Amino acid sequence: MNLIRVWAVTYKEWREILRDRLFFAMAFVLPLVIFLVLGWGISFDVENIPFAVLDQDKTAMSRDFLHRFIDSRYFDYKGDVRSEREFDALLAHSDIRFAIIIPPRFQEHLLAGQSTSVQSLIDGVFPYRAQVAKGYVSAIIANFNSYSLADYLAGTRGISREQALAQVAPVLIDPRYLYNQALRSQWSMASGLLMLVLMVTPPFLTALGVVREKENGSIYNIYASTISRSEFILGKFLPYLLISCLNILILWWVVMNVFGTPFKGDPLFYYAASVIYVICTAGAGLLISLLVQTQVAAIMLTMVISFVPAMLYSGLLVPIESMEAGTQFEAHLFPTLYYLRISWGSFLKGLGWAELWFDVVALMLYAIILWVVGYLNFHKRPKQ
Amino acid sequence: MNSSRFLLWWDRVIAMTVKELKQLFRDPVLLAIIVYFFTADVYMAGNGIKLNLHSASVMVIDHDHSAASRELIYRFRPPYFDLKGEISGKKEAENLLNKGQILAVLDIPEHFQRDLLRGKQVAVQLQVDTSNTVLGTLATSYATEITAGFGQDLAMQQLGLSAGQVDSLPVIEDRHRVLYNPNQIDSWFMSISELLTVITILSMMLPAAAAVREKERGTIEQLAVSPLTPLQILLPKVIAMSLVILLGTAVCLFLIIIPVFHLPVKGSIGLFFAVTALYVFATSGIGLFIATVSRSLGQVSMLVILLLMPILLLSGAWTPPEAMPQGLRWAMAISPLYYFIEMGYDILLKGAGIAVLKDSLLGLTLLGLVFFSFGVWRFRRQFG
Repeated sequence: MNLIRVWAVTYKEWREILRDRLFFAMAFVLPLVIFLVLGWGISFDVENIPFAVLDQDKTAMSRDFLHRFIDSRYFDYKGDVRSEREFDALLAHSDIRFAIIIPPRFQEHLLAGQSTSVQSLIDGVFPYRAQVAKGYVSAIIANFNSYSLADYLAGTRGISREQALAQVAPVLIDPRYLYNQALRSQWSMASGLLMLVLMVTPPFLTALGVVREKENGSIYNIYASTISRSEFILGKFLPYLLISCLNILILWWVVMNVFGTPFKGDPLFYYAASVIYVICTAGAGLLISLLVQTQVAAIMLTMVISFVPAMLYSGLLVPIESMEAGTQFEAHLFPTLYYLRISWGSFLKGLGWAELWFDVVALMLYAIILWVVGYLNFHKRPKQ
Repeated sequence: MNSSRFLLWWDRVIAMTVKELKQLFRDPVLLAIIVYFFTADVYMAGNGIKLNLHSASVMVIDHDHSAASRELIYRFRPPYFDLKGEISGKKEAENLLNKGQILAVLDIPEHFQRDLLRGKQVAVQLQVDTSNTVLGTLATSYATEITAGFGQDLAMQQLGLSAGQVDSLPVIEDRHRVLYNPNQIDSWFMSISELLTVITILSMMLPAAAAVREKERGTIEQLAVSPLTPLQILLPKVIAMSLVILLGTAVCLFLIIIPVFHLPVKGSIGLFFAVTALYVFATSGIGLFIATVSRSLGQVSMLVILLLMPILLLSGAWTPPEAMPQGLRWAMAISPLYYFIEMGYDILLKGAGIAVLKDSLLGLTLLGLVFFSFGVWRFRRQFG
């Protein structure tokens, strides 16, 4: 391998990137935009659920019960309706996502020591949100019930209210949220999205770099020159590696300062692992560039083979454990899973080489295989 | 005279449309990718993403080893939890949680049973890995429900009440109904949202690519000297791509979403296609604008992704409007996908008719007119 030739290709590529100002700006802007949009855009915090009320009782007790919803930060009170039929239009138009109906004689039943029922309607279009909303409703009702029962027992059995309360709700659960104490989905999202963005943009840039020459026909200059394939591939790749390495730092800064995610691990280890990951994903870009002839096809194919594993098979949205066995196996075939572990481990859990060495080795193997396959399939003599 | 001129005008548009279709069908890779988007991609999104708790691994530290503690542990069962056994200490628990091998650890204190029998309130600790917030939230919510249920049964027992007597206690029965998707099947939501996103990507990308390809190859000069007006050059590209996209939508709906995921279509399919056609037209205006700004396909694709990201963020596909900050909620009005997603779910899942949709329909039409005329205007300035 002749380093002067490698340098010549690198220098040429670098000038080309610099002269295409839009492309150059995009190389930095695009990862940042994808990152910010998804970081802010995908939020699993279920709050401010808009809801409306049909109170057929209108007593002190029904109002007290409803105020547990109205005052909660999880719900956003939109007003009262006069009949059940009004809910249909409101729910169909997504003006409200949740409706609650208090039956007549609500207070009368409770004061007489009888049970009553409250009907709630939940918009199930987005199932996760419906499930969480259902959980909130059950929790509010259960809490109301234990006080109501305690009052009743205190009255009928002559014990103190505290004692009654302990009897009614004997076991409490005390959850400790590890790694993400405030349960802020943005922390997990931001540190996880590094995986996604670095999966999408390096292959994108690399594939475009090679396919552009193919589409313009300037690749024939390379075919006809004395440069060897490894020199060409390496020279071509270096400018994009440099851009991606800068992007890692920029995104890292954003994760910590814009999204406020703490970094608990070892910065050097994390940076090294990230560079390996970028080499690995850029290798996927090289493979794509060998398969296709046009830039549009290259872009589409990159999106297809990078977004899908990053979104679906990495564990970012769907945890690996809750996948079916077949899907779990597929998930282990993509590099995204290993890098996500490194990313969450470093940011949220404060782990390092000792715990994460396996994932780093997996990424290395991945990178080697991709580049070797890419190298072997890149021919200076196009088949006719 | 006038009518023959009109016919000639359309003849030219149709001839150009046929040319665009032929050109598309001669690019097998692009064609394969379009097919992939409408079939496999939607299938994977619908099948892969399940945002619910499914056999989450739990381990127990049981300091009490009593009948009561075993009874509580026994309740952590599938479908939500999968009990992986018992461990002896906190160190080991921490280790397993760090590695991500288990999601939660239940810690039952000493004298659990004794305290319960004495009528004391006991707290049970649950350590949850919340690096994935969705799982963390759901696991906590279900664990709370399980312990509350355990506590309630215990209370009833101690108070000498059987389950049948709950009627004669002042409690509220929680009756909830989840509308539109009663069993909270994630694949309905996910597959529709993916289909609508795919339509968005393609309706921006394909017309823009078709227009810029002419620029890149220089064939635009031939078109400029032909008797075609700028509108006659652009309209056929939009018509041809719209046809392909509508065909793809039909394939996706009738071959994937309805038969595989058993989506019950509540509304009118005809209305859905009409809305889709309108939407494709509106977004292709953005594509045409991109085509006028960029010089190469590489630039087109970067700009498409750059514009696509905010459109996705502001669409409400992942985060509904109520969960957005106020400023972004206003900005949603300019995302065409927001109206499309709203109408898509309303028609397919909620069975809404035109009356409910008229606001969204009006918004989308206005946006479409603005985008499209802006795109044509820019193009005319460049080549007129």
